[in-house]
Amino acid sequence: MEFRIAADELRKALHRAQGIVERKTTMPILANVLVNATKSGVTVTAFDLDIGIVSEHPAEVLKPGSVTLSAKTLFDIVANLPEPTLNVKKLQNNYAEITCGSASYRIVGMASEEFPKLPKEENAPLVKVSGNTLLEMIKKTSFAISSDETRYILNGVFFEPREGGKVRMVATDGHRLCLIERDLVGDFKLKGGVIIPRKGLFELKRLLEEAPDAECSLGFAESSALFKKPGLSMVMRLIDGQFPEYQRVIPKEGEKQVVVSRNRLFDSLKRIALLSADKSNAIKLALADSQVRITANNPDLGEAKDDIEVPYKGAALTVGFNARYLIDILTVTESDDVVIELGDEHSPGVLHTPGDKSYTAVVMPMRV
Amino acid sequence: MDAFYASVEQRDDPRLRGKPVIVGGHPTRGVVLAASYEVRPFGVRSAMPMSRAVRLAPQAIVVSPRFTAYADASDQVFGIFEKVTPLIEPLSLDEAFLDVTGSLNLFGPPATIARQLRASIAREVELPCSAGIAEAKFEAKIASDLAKPDGQREVPAGTSREFLAPLPISRLWGVGPRTEEHLKAVGLKTIGDVAARALPDLERVLGDSGRHLWELSQGIDDRPVVPDREAKSIGAQDTFEEDVMGRDGLVHQLHSQALRVGRRLRRAKVKARVVQLSIKYSDFTLITRRRTLDEPTDDGQTLYREACALLDRVDLRRPVRLTGVSAQELGQGEGQLGLFAPQGPTRTDKLNRAIDAISSKFGTAAIVTADLAGDAPESEEEERIRRELGAARPKKPPASS
Repeated sequence: MEFRIAADELRKALHRAQGIVERKTTMPILANVLVNATKSGVTVTAFDLDIGIVSEHPAEVLKPGSVTLSAKTLFDIVANLPEPTLNVKKLQNNYAEITCGSASYRIVGMASEEFPKLPKEENAPLVKVSGNTLLEMIKKTSFAISSDETRYILNGVFFEPREGGKVRMVATDGHRLCLIERDLVGDFKLKGGVIIPRKGLFELKRLLEEAPDAECSLGFAESSALFKKPGLSMVMRLIDGQFPEYQRVIPKEGEKQVVVSRNRLFDSLKRIALLSADKSNAIKLALADSQVRITANNPDLGEAKDDIEVPYKGAALTVGFNARYLIDILTVTESDDVVIELGDEHSPGVLHTPGDKSYTAVVMPMRV
Repeated sequence: MDAFYASVEQRDDPRLRGKPVIVGGHPTRGVVLAASYEVRPFGVRSAMPMSRAVRLAPQAIVVSPRFTAYADASDQVFGIFEKVTPLIEPLSLDEAFLDVTGSLNLFGPPATIARQLRASIAREVELPCSAGIAEAKFEAKIASDLAKPDGQREVPAGTSREFLAPLPISRLWGVGPRTEEHLKAVGLKTIGDVAARALPDLERVLGDSGRHLWELSQGIDDRPVVPDREAKSIGAQDTFEEDVMGRDGLVHQLHSQALRVGRRLRRAKVKARVVQLSIKYSDFTLITRRRTLDEPTDDGQTLYREACALLDRVDLRRPVRLTGVSAQELGQGEGQLGLFAPQGPTRTDKLNRAIDAISSKFGTAAIVTADLAGDAPESEEEERIRRELGAARPKKPPASS
């Protein structure tokens, strides 16, 4: 194996691989990338047994072949090269020689035959999707994914094709839930929905952010998801299990509704949460005539309050919330105003854009 | 209360009045739970093995305990206390500290309050009791012990040292038989002897506890009266009669303990966030393992499952002498609510409610889980007594272990 490649191309490939290669693994080869040179170019593959990506790059291939090399070492070398192009050549015993201008390296590799095979999902029906839409859906749900590993079913986002060319994505950690529904037209050939794991989702988000306008396609085979864009394909194992019946926990319509400026509420929550009791981030929302009062108190620090004027005429109500949960939602909300729907102090609060529930967040209160 | 259980028995059965009465469990394995004043001259004392008590006083009438009756009497007595002050720290079913500082303007000086309380108890509950009045809790306790039976004694402010000086050092809190021996060996027989020593001297002889004992001997004790509802943890622990090897024998006892803790949590209307398992090996080394729960609980079965999971993190190749399950970080269930958590009472809540209702009417032995069926009937009061007396639980592990 021998090829000449632009340092920028190889850097891009290794950057993509960084999030996936395992550093503290019992299988040392998973810390490596598989470098494969064919007549059409060079591919760099990273795989952690759950998520794999294959990145394709133009190169002048002098001799086809393959080897696996430490992803981290290679990344560091490529980041410090003196010239914009380099030469990679496989030596005996899976060593590789890298030469670039005046510099040269001889680095240890491992046999490409030992690199685990990625699942072949060529038959997965791929659907063309908008990268921007997919990115929006991920950004607006992924923060609500549970990080509690004992609830592995919640360690991902539920992806559910609906009627009329729409897809729903739902994430929850058992305390809050975010649901988004957007147009992703095409037949995913799914019965019900699938759960896309957190790590894969974050890698997907990273790849989408490289070029959101690029043409993308997404598909599902039995237990994995497949994502492709020009020069890149990604496969990941899905979470096996039944996502909870999320519809059950979304209240139909809150008795009490307040419309409030997104920025005003966001700023107020941030300034009042400074005095919330340390770990819980507990704040209180008190609805009264024409105002929402946000308060926090911490026995060690003191107390804080902020009043927001709102066009509210209903009954008074005070509900405790984790300020973090509300701030997370407002962070990804772009509209000028948000609607808060409340029932009572033990019922979930619902946030959405006025007149539009295609993005809905549900937050359980705290007893305070 | 004076000879509490025995007094209740004498109250309820005229034939026992004026007679030597022992309230106790099993005649060979049990311990004396209470001895009437008529039997005390023979040397019978609480916590003494029944076999010995019966030898000392063969003519005594032995009565099986009726815990429900004692609990009822106790409730009545505490009800009388509550009319005087909310600051009541129960020490046991029949003993409590009352802080009456705030009640003096209403009810008069402490001695008057004590006299009125004792009169109310005699009239309404028909039981004798004694009171000690002092500025510090431990002095009040000693004064009350000295006033028994059916009396009261006040240690006027500023006279603590004189009051304490002639008393034997075993009267001091924290002085057990071993410390007592140690103190006697260095020439300290009375509390006055301790008070007369220089503090550095005592610290050299007694280490860290030197300062504590010295302060007590001076009548210095600023521990406040802490009402029970502010308890920090609720636990159950038992010592095996014989050390137990292996998981099977231990989980049986853990189950019983976890269920008892669950019952007490529910009665106190609190839920626990943390479960702690304690294991004491035969060489007296004590280890603890704890876990924070996802959701606070008052369910004994949940505590049991957690305790078993914790047990798997413990070395079980050594003989075990004691196990304990304790529920900590108690609260009224405040904090983050769950989206998928069922609204309203769960099946478990309903089951526990039913079990509690049955137990309160027919006793805790009336309904037990199958694995515990056939064990010695369990009572909260019995358990409390065992805890206080540090007595072994009269129960063998199952034969399978």
